[in-house]
Amino acid sequence: MVTIDLNDLEIREANERIREAAAQGESIEVLNPDARHHIGVGVIHPVDIHVRGSAGYFLAGLTDTPRFHVESNVGWGVADNMYQGSVVVGGNAGAIAGVAIRGADLVIKGNMGSRAGQVMKKGTLLCCGNANFMAGYMMYGGRMIILGESGERLGEDMSGGEIFLGGNLTSLGSDAEVTDIDSAEVDEIREFLDRYEIPFKGSFQKVVNAGKKLRYSTSERQMRSIPYFNFSGDSDYWNRKIQEDVYIKSQIGRYRVRGYGGARELPHLSDIAFRKDISMAAIGDDPVGDVEMRTKIGGKNGANPLDLTMPVLIAPMSYGALSRSAKQAIAIASGMAGIAENTGEGGMSDAQRDAAGQLIFQMLGGRLGWNIHDMNRADGLEIYISQGAKPGFGGQLMAKKVTKELADIRGIPAGIDLRSPSRHPDILGADDLVIKIEELREATGYRLPVSVKLGAGRIHDDIKIAVKDGFDFVELDGMQGSTGAGGAEVMEYVGIPTLAAICEAETALASIGRRDDLEIVLMGGIRDGIEAVKGLCLGADAIALGTAAIIAGGCIACMQCHVGQCVTGIATQDPEHEKRYKSKVEAQHIYTFLESVRWQIAAITKALGHSNVTGLSRDDLVALTPEAAEITGLPYEPERRNADVFQEAG
Amino acid sequence: MSDNSANLMPTEQIGATGDKHYVPAPCQIACPVGTDAPSYIGYIWNGQFDEAFEAITATNPFSSICGRVCDAPCEPACRREASDGALQIRNLKRFVMEKLGATWKPEAAPVTRQQSIGIVGAGPAGLVAAHDLAVAGFKVDVYEMTDRPGGMMIWGIPAFRLPVGTIEEDMNRLMARCPGLTIHTNTGLGRDVSLEELKERHDAVVLTIGSWWGKKMGIPGEADSRVVDGVEFLRRINSGERPQMPKEVVVIGGGDVAMDACRAALRLPGCEHVKVVYRRGPDEIPARKIELQGAVEEGIEFVYNTQQVEVIADGDDNLKLRCVQTGMGEPDADGRRRPEPIAGSEHDIDCGMVIAAVGQFGDCDDASTKALMGSDRVNTEWDNMRTGDPKVFAAGDGAFGGSTIVMAMSHGQRVAYYVRSFLDGDEAPVTYRTPWRTRRVPVAQDLNWEINALHHPEFHGVGENPVEFPEIESTYTWEEARDEAARCYRCDAETGSADYSVQNREDIFLMARMDKTDVARQAKMLAKRMRHRENPFPEDRPATVDDLVFLPANLSRLVIDPYREACRVSTDLGFGRMEIEQPFFATGFDNAPASVKDGVAIGLKGSSGGYIGVQPLNDDTPWLQLVLPGQIAPSAEAAGQIHVVGPRFEAPQNVTRLHENQLLGISVSHHEALEDAIVFGLENKFDVLLVNGSSAVGRDWPELAGPPDLSMMRETITILRRLNMEEEIDILWFGGMRSGTDAAKIIGMGAKSVVMGMTLALAAGGEIVGDHELAFAPDYSEEERGHAVHNILKAASGEASMMARCTGKTNLHNLEPEDMRALTLATNEATGLVLAGKH
Repeated sequence: MVTIDLNDLEIREANERIREAAAQGESIEVLNPDARHHIGVGVIHPVDIHVRGSAGYFLAGLTDTPRFHVESNVGWGVADNMYQGSVVVGGNAGAIAGVAIRGADLVIKGNMGSRAGQVMKKGTLLCCGNANFMAGYMMYGGRMIILGESGERLGEDMSGGEIFLGGNLTSLGSDAEVTDIDSAEVDEIREFLDRYEIPFKGSFQKVVNAGKKLRYSTSERQMRSIPYFNFSGDSDYWNRKIQEDVYIKSQIGRYRVRGYGGARELPHLSDIAFRKDISMAAIGDDPVGDVEMRTKIGGKNGANPLDLTMPVLIAPMSYGALSRSAKQAIAIASGMAGIAENTGEGGMSDAQRDAAGQLIFQMLGGRLGWNIHDMNRADGLEIYISQGAKPGFGGQLMAKKVTKELADIRGIPAGIDLRSPSRHPDILGADDLVIKIEELREATGYRLPVSVKLGAGRIHDDIKIAVKDGFDFVELDGMQGSTGAGGAEVMEYVGIPTLAAICEAETALASIGRRDDLEIVLMGGIRDGIEAVKGLCLGADAIALGTAAIIAGGCIACMQCHVGQCVTGIATQDPEHEKRYKSKVEAQHIYTFLESVRWQIAAITKALGHSNVTGLSRDDLVALTPEAAEITGLPYEPERRNADVFQEAG
Repeated sequence: MSDNSANLMPTEQIGATGDKHYVPAPCQIACPVGTDAPSYIGYIWNGQFDEAFEAITATNPFSSICGRVCDAPCEPACRREASDGALQIRNLKRFVMEKLGATWKPEAAPVTRQQSIGIVGAGPAGLVAAHDLAVAGFKVDVYEMTDRPGGMMIWGIPAFRLPVGTIEEDMNRLMARCPGLTIHTNTGLGRDVSLEELKERHDAVVLTIGSWWGKKMGIPGEADSRVVDGVEFLRRINSGERPQMPKEVVVIGGGDVAMDACRAALRLPGCEHVKVVYRRGPDEIPARKIELQGAVEEGIEFVYNTQQVEVIADGDDNLKLRCVQTGMGEPDADGRRRPEPIAGSEHDIDCGMVIAAVGQFGDCDDASTKALMGSDRVNTEWDNMRTGDPKVFAAGDGAFGGSTIVMAMSHGQRVAYYVRSFLDGDEAPVTYRTPWRTRRVPVAQDLNWEINALHHPEFHGVGENPVEFPEIESTYTWEEARDEAARCYRCDAETGSADYSVQNREDIFLMARMDKTDVARQAKMLAKRMRHRENPFPEDRPATVDDLVFLPANLSRLVIDPYREACRVSTDLGFGRMEIEQPFFATGFDNAPASVKDGVAIGLKGSSGGYIGVQPLNDDTPWLQLVLPGQIAPSAEAAGQIHVVGPRFEAPQNVTRLHENQLLGISVSHHEALEDAIVFGLENKFDVLLVNGSSAVGRDWPELAGPPDLSMMRETITILRRLNMEEEIDILWFGGMRSGTDAAKIIGMGAKSVVMGMTLALAAGGEIVGDHELAFAPDYSEEERGHAVHNILKAASGEASMMARCTGKTNLHNLEPEDMRALTLATNEATGLVLAGKH
């Protein structure tokens, strides 16, 4: 038995010792826990850990196989994302007990706070006392047993799993219903209670998903996009696109869903020009050899930074929205080019991990595919707050794409119209976020950069919070970003353009003297090295390419990603369609595209008179339109529109 | 011959099509004659066969022939090839040509020019040149040494691939189209006419003499009478001969002539087995995939990596073809790896006949023509199609070596262009470019476009009676053609993404295929990518709700408890006088047909505020009566009375509530009257102010006239603020509300509820016709209209709530101007909302 006394140790050191002891197979005793947060996070060995007192937030979070025994109470998020293993709490638990557990047993002898078992996927959560409101909120699977009162809105928007209630049902949540219980289930519950020596002789009611909201009742008539993106202003206000929208919505009674990015023209990097003439003479024969492009991102707070051969990343895109093969091709290409790839929402596959040189692992509110083992093999961790295409909303993955395999990776039922939560269960405000970031760092020994993915909205305020909360970098996504499925109106009318986002971010950070404390990766509609350079000039430390990379890899931009039967095999989970996709061939194409982007970045950087991309600045730019000038504060020089043309003949 | 333009895709052809975003599809670029394949495929799907026929034949007078035997370079270029197989573009063409090719009556192009042109050789190059020049108004004479026009199209292709009669279809159309064209058959150059004579007769001469003669193999023993050359063999077959063959036949070569020769031989009496000997491997064989596949399916044996070295007579009945095996050596000048003989691999192949199809050459008996020729072709400048004689041009296989029918046809177009320039006296014409045109055909709305698998027409092989050369395959049925046409990606068509337009996608596609060390190509692409788009927000772009966006809640707006409250949209008006579930009213149906009114009434039931009009919609629907000055008096039946004022404010007279909960309102449509109307409404304790921002007043469906005037809203709020009376009267907005998003924006700017006209009309079966008019389709029941109106309101309500929720609000009416940003200066000016990026 190894004894850790929190009177003597900071939690960071204590956790390191706990993990070391666990790796040796030693039992551990934690003295004077003092309700500290993050006790025992990241343990992945089957050892007994006794906590002599009360623990704070996220006890046993991000673990697999340990057995925790807590004498008194725990704060919120106990057993967060725990795989196998168990936690027995002698007293009460705070809110979101058992959030996102994926197989563990969680036994709470007292009462538990609100939203217990939120987005849990597997395992058993037993509360011997009463639950607070919305127990089982958005649960995807597993078993919850409440021996006391249910609290209000039990099983709110659960899509899978079962809740067994021994006490009174206060009220049912949306899309939950009471159903019959069979004796085998009762026997299993009794066996579980016996195992943890819980005496209970009463009977149970069973609550499950009622199935009324899992699938849209009327399916939207699928149509190939009509080539109409002028919208109003210079064309008919009641144009064909509007008429089509009205027609479809009048059939389905809800907003339209589609894939891809926004349809219309927005103020963009194309409205910016270089101040100097770009000439072949200035570029020379080997700009790539002449310009330093190596970029490190994420090391500001002591983590091992991403080490990129150029200031470019792959934007987060999920396995789910995209096929396994498409993700694999992107990963291979990113590895070949020496840049970083990102898992997006859907979890990490071995193929992707193996192929990508550097891989950022993204965590969303649904905690789909999120787990300690993949965190440990990632090169960066990312908390998704929102994305440019549909900021303020959770992901949408239509039923057609939620195959069994995909559902297994994500830990959810197959065949539902998956609407991921728009908020994290344990991040309701900036202060929660600080604690969450710390949990991730504690669990991985502070090795990995922790970034935030932020859709562009109130960037002026958001970016200040991001820096104050201690993120290592931000992935800032303008509204030109794309998505696999989202509300059409949201894609067009929510968020601000990429150009505006970077300008606001720069001004805001400068206003509090913190520009140097947060790196910015800009994304959202960046299509080539020219736009990349403009982004860098405006202040971004790197840019990320998403849609452009998949177009390089065979996407035809038909904007039907949401349908799930992608003709090229990119945005589909249908094996018949996926097999059309030649990962290795397309990986080569994506890589070649990235190399062309590299050439363009180097060529322009050099022609602007810099030997390092870090030399790029706003002084290299002018604005071509009144809007761009107003947004960026750059000099308005419309005459550069025709002058800013590169004659390749030199 | 090379075309440097193939290096990078063409840029958009602004002006050429009237569509600034048009970039030709890869199939169209791959087609030497620039056939607008995406358009005809789109037409086929839509059953518009006449239009498809026009698109097919516009640049191709031999479309019936090409429908069967074109080597179809469009198909390997098809982007779907990389997925589940290329579109069967040639077969789709054939489908249309079989429908219309024989009966189509083209319009005759009269002779309008004095000059004439003599063309030698009635093959694809000569006849296409003749066609283009005749259509341009010249008189054209074509001199053909055989007894019929067509060249290799008829003499080189056996009837099982190209049935007799197909050429007639094309020729009949060609001759009907070109009354100024005369074809002189049995007139050989050097035999019946000389170049000097032609130069005297005509203002220009075009030599399209073809590549008519088979090359020798250059090996011992090939003089044996049982060794024949491929083109000569095919000529005999195509003139109708059906010679008795030995059992075993060997064909040497891997091109199209070899494929036709081997398959023809197999069908002739006596032949039991045919081998094709080819010196490279199966990956290098130049024959078109489909011909190769057909030959294999018919039972032809392919002997790869084998090169002939000698023909040895082995008695009367047998030949031994001595061969060596080959390995692949270093690449040749043409980039293909050179076959190298493997020492000690000699072996013999027994057969009764050897058909050598190892290439062709052009030749001519005419002395003056001879003087213009190199060893096997007429020396011709690709840049202007001229020969050593200033009056003589040349094209086709006889000028540039053996190629395909469609390539020869493109030469015909090219030479016609330069001849015309010459005859116009233009000594330095703009370089010829294959014409690309699009007909902008809508994309097929076929739900199975992603699913439909490639479907080949039925293949018959040699058939029951091979010697009659029955056709090897059928054409599609209409259903099959439609399913195949649906598969088209429509690379020519925009998909509705501004950032990823066809032009941008094609650039990315090319960047993904450029050698990273090829500085010249990288530079060329950089030049292309550096061009700026046009300003999408020119000065004359009006302020519009489209140029407003919402600011989403992220880190800075997490303070609300998202788990406890949905976003409410219910609305109360007039300090509780009216409570409605959704913030919408309907208007505009006063003059609509009764069935439409009834349908709209069904749709409004229960959810919205009701109907605003001069007359009630029906007895059930809550009615806010529009009271026009001096017309119908306010009704006690109405839930409210809204007094309409004109551009010059005149106070409504004797306004009284006719029952306790009757709303009182005033409606204003003009800036000039706004302040007076507001003051009047406030002084008289009116409940609602209806601001009409539609740009046309006093007509049916005024919203159709254009975007609403958003500055009406700004001015209204400004006045109310100045009076410090913002909360004292509820604003209803009318004008251009097309969705819940539009409604949320106006509500965020200060309105309490919006009034919808056009949107509900469209949902209820309205169609925009003519010059901004609306007509109701008769074929909907009242219930269907009602259902649609109900749904569009429900959708709008959901959208409005979604917009509010995403900004962090739990009540739609908590939206405020600070939740939005303007994207343009004009919209910023009209609404007072901050420009995105500023704060």
